[in-house]
Amino acid sequence: MRRHFPWMTLLAALLVVGITDIRFLLPENLVGLASDIVPLFIMAEGMTLVIYIGGIDLSSQSVANMATVLTTLELPVLGAGSGAVVALAGLAFGAASGTVTTRWKVPSFISTLAVGGIALSVAQFASGQQALHMDAEMRRHAFGWMLGRTAGVPHELLIALALGAIAWFVQTRMTAGRIFKAIGTAEPVAVASGVSVGRYKILAFALSGMFAAIAGVMFSVRLSGGSPTLAEGFLLPAIVAVLVGGTPLTGGVGGVLNTLIGALIVAVVRASMLYLNIPATGQQIFFGFVLITAIATTIDRSKMRVVK
Amino acid sequence: MVPHISAETIRRWVPLFVLLGLVLFFTALNPHFFSVRNFARIAISATPALMVAVGVTFVILMGSIDLSMEGTIAVAAVMFALILNRLGGSVVGVGGLAIPGALVVGAALGAINGLIHVKLKIPSFMASLSLGFVGVGLSLLITGGDRILIDDPVFRSLLTVRFGGFPLMTYVALFCLVVAWFIQANTTIGRNFYAIGGGEELARGSGLNVGRLRIIAFVIAGVFYALGAILAVARLGIAETETGRNFMFVSITSVVVGGTALAGGSGGVWNTLIGVLIVNVIGNGMVVIGLPDYFQDGMLGLLVISAVYLSMDRRAFSFVK
Repeated sequence: MRRHFPWMTLLAALLVVGITDIRFLLPENLVGLASDIVPLFIMAEGMTLVIYIGGIDLSSQSVANMATVLTTLELPVLGAGSGAVVALAGLAFGAASGTVTTRWKVPSFISTLAVGGIALSVAQFASGQQALHMDAEMRRHAFGWMLGRTAGVPHELLIALALGAIAWFVQTRMTAGRIFKAIGTAEPVAVASGVSVGRYKILAFALSGMFAAIAGVMFSVRLSGGSPTLAEGFLLPAIVAVLVGGTPLTGGVGGVLNTLIGALIVAVVRASMLYLNIPATGQQIFFGFVLITAIATTIDRSKMRVVK
Repeated sequence: MVPHISAETIRRWVPLFVLLGLVLFFTALNPHFFSVRNFARIAISATPALMVAVGVTFVILMGSIDLSMEGTIAVAAVMFALILNRLGGSVVGVGGLAIPGALVVGAALGAINGLIHVKLKIPSFMASLSLGFVGVGLSLLITGGDRILIDDPVFRSLLTVRFGGFPLMTYVALFCLVVAWFIQANTTIGRNFYAIGGGEELARGSGLNVGRLRIIAFVIAGVFYALGAILAVARLGIAETETGRNFMFVSITSVVVGGTALAGGSGGVWNTLIGVLIVNVIGNGMVVIGLPDYFQDGMLGLLVISAVYLSMDRRAFSFVK
């Protein structure tokens, strides 16, 4: 039952909004809805891997902020290559979080908070604390392929689905993914089975950092610029997408496909709030409570003898 | 004969030596650093942060964490300003009710936080993070994103009136610190926080109502966040959602740098005082020697990682999530 809860929620949410306004269910509206949340979805996919192993990544938003700045700055130098370089920078920041967590035994919510602080400093330093703008011609030349449409489907959406497919492949078809599951289900057992758990945990954090950076790259291309605060407001909905999708905070079950559903739920809820004229500030309160509810209903309490 | 100094003693005094070392370091680089005027500047920036950090100290002593301070401060600051302006705009007379009003708001938010954490059995970092978001949203909803100005001269005297070079708010904060120390050292509740942090199952086995104590700790923390909010408003004369900004990272860094272990059970509010001073001396010193202030977030990040790394007894637990 619990396994089917996320997509049923999505369906119910769609129906409720569809009843109030049938135009909401038109294909082009739904496609628009989905492509709106592409950066958020990509960030949430990365975060899923970390939550899947029972950790948390609070640095995603700062890494994405940094990515918007670095992409904008490097565009004139590296062209489309700036996206790849920035993704690698995200990978490095994620790996740093993972290393601090596993090697130095700093809890992940603190280590990622700290690495996020470093990313924020880099963003502020590189941008000179200003909003930066991309040159329109360079942007079109380097990233134009991101912005078009094929058969009515925005390329952004296709890229997001491709990235989701990669994450899904890693999770279900590669050794790393199986080990992520082992770590999330029972870390002591994974250690006892001779798996080098530390290395795989670092990999999960690194991938999360990379996905956050890619989210930042796509966001900055969409908005044609970058600033150290551009991706502000991403963290809460990204965590909500993972949790509502059905990956519990304790890890081990759920995964990247769940987060696809979770991100769509977030998108529908957001859009329906516009339809129902609920102010944007109300959204944050609502999502905060949704997050608490999602955690409380999905968390596996048999894994926690003591709740700290 | 050389007296024997244990590793434990050294560890306890390290934060203080770090603080003294930093003061010497920045003084050597720029003699202007060592002046009453500059120390007053450090005190003003450290005062609201001290209240917030003292509040979260109680929670960390139990081995839990509270990440909701930015939301709680925002709501408490905004409610304080609204009540004050609604009741005549001066803290002398009825307007003074704004102060207990803000403290009640802080306590209520802390209680909700504690209840969600304990009753729903959600790890505190996630329960409090969610509620922090709710708080920020709530304060935006109340203000509509506007700033509320406070121009009551009596209230602003917290900043403008000085004794011995330091503004009144410094002394208020020191008084609150002593109260916090009293709670920590001389009340059953305070001692029980240490018991929970030292070993929750033992504490429960000896008959402590751990759930109730956890909620009490979050309530106390909420009250101190509200105190921090009031002092932050006194410093700037403005109450807005942004009032709470950055306090989460700064206050947790301060607590950890001061030597209170994240695992709970050791440290306390005096450690937090040292930690807040270390963080603010670094912040101020960096500006005094001419480094731009945006290096601070990165600096805090490195600081918190190294402090947690140095303070943890890594033999004690093998799995860190």
